[in-house]
Amino acid sequence: MPLVPVSPRVRTPPLRTRRNVTSVTPDQLAAYRSALGDMQALKPSDDRSYPFHAGHHGLPLPIQCQHGTPLFLPWHRAYLYFFERELRDREAERARREGRAAREIAQPFWDWTVPAATPVEAIPVAYRDKKDAAGGANPMHHGTVSPAAMEQQHDLRPPVGPLDLPAETFRQPGLPGTERPTKERIDRIVAEPDFVTFYRRLEDWHGRVHVWTGGEGHMRHVPLAAFDPIFWAHHCMIDRLWRLWQLAHPPPPFTDAFLNTALPPFPMTVAQTLSVTALGYDYATTAVTVPVGPTRED
Amino acid sequence: MDRFESQPIEIPGAERTDFSRADLIFRSVDHSGDSFTAHVFLDNPGADETTPLDEANGYAGWFAIFGHGGCAGDVGHCDPPVDQVDPEDQRLLHPLTPHTKIVLITESLRRVPGPEVAVTVIPVISAKEAPQRADVLYFESLEVAIYD
Repeated sequence: MPLVPVSPRVRTPPLRTRRNVTSVTPDQLAAYRSALGDMQALKPSDDRSYPFHAGHHGLPLPIQCQHGTPLFLPWHRAYLYFFERELRDREAERARREGRAAREIAQPFWDWTVPAATPVEAIPVAYRDKKDAAGGANPMHHGTVSPAAMEQQHDLRPPVGPLDLPAETFRQPGLPGTERPTKERIDRIVAEPDFVTFYRRLEDWHGRVHVWTGGEGHMRHVPLAAFDPIFWAHHCMIDRLWRLWQLAHPPPPFTDAFLNTALPPFPMTVAQTLSVTALGYDYATTAVTVPVGPTRED
Repeated sequence: MDRFESQPIEIPGAERTDFSRADLIFRSVDHSGDSFTAHVFLDNPGADETTPLDEANGYAGWFAIFGHGGCAGDVGHCDPPVDQVDPEDQRLLHPLTPHTKIVLITESLRRVPGPEVAVTVIPVISAKEAPQRADVLYFESLEVAIYD
């Protein structure tokens, strides 16, 4: 067999696997919580902090999230990417401080199609428990709205008026009149061949899950939703469904103008969001690596 | 508005049932207020929040609004430009640019007996303490699109 020359002799970093939050190991969960807690401990004005990242979505102004357009999926993929990078940076910094190797950090997803006996039980335990395994505060249970966002939520003008939600985020899952989708409904959406129809139907359910989760709490409101840590697991599920759609259907005929659209505040275009593996992660639930011996000598 | 009831809409060819797909397209849907789910009924002008979502009651589908939640800026901050057609304007659309919502009504329309159909839209707000209890529904036009 002729050898095909491969010029870049660089070691490709392994893909990070974004797992179902109910499937992560205790060590993976501890690492994620540690990094998230470190972000939350930074002061809100620090651009590495949790409130800084949460604020990109809604308050404090400007509200930068993209909804109701084909940018919905690319913008939120970029948002998750930079949030996850920050989590990894926090873990790397802690690892340096503690003189150990950094642990893998990947954003877990919340599969909200899984049946549950009660609405509360549909919220994954990792997000429901007030305490972590060591008895400390669980940073996935709630977040804290930044002072600037707190001030601006009070200034909201009619017809909505002041939200005046507390700084500590809360959830009221499954209030009457709210609904989350079944797996069968989502499977039908992922099977939809037309990208526009796919993203519109998925975005509609995305909105309903926000409202189902929040009740009267933060997740139901665009301006404050991202301050609740479950926001990231919710959008990771949306991103996963887009990935599954991409695997099942040929690439849509996007225009150059669309592909070259920037996704502020992120230094990324739509085209740069299209490959999750280029962004260093995937959602495969089973991946087996087969070692093939020592590295070839030059 | 708190509900929408159309006059009977004449749809040429609607008495047919051999179309492959039918869409109800809501243009310029406002999303500046609170979140809600809009229940859509055909030929049921008496529908309300409590109407069962089933075939017998003309239920055709739904769309959801994840509401922007009001304006924290000064006067005019949340008013999208009326015309955003400058080809040199590289900015993204104003966040409150109205949305288009499409409800697939293929099977529901097939059950409509005549060439006319009336559309009723009921916005449902789930939270008792929602910051906006009334007037969440606004759109500029409604279109029925039927595909052979």
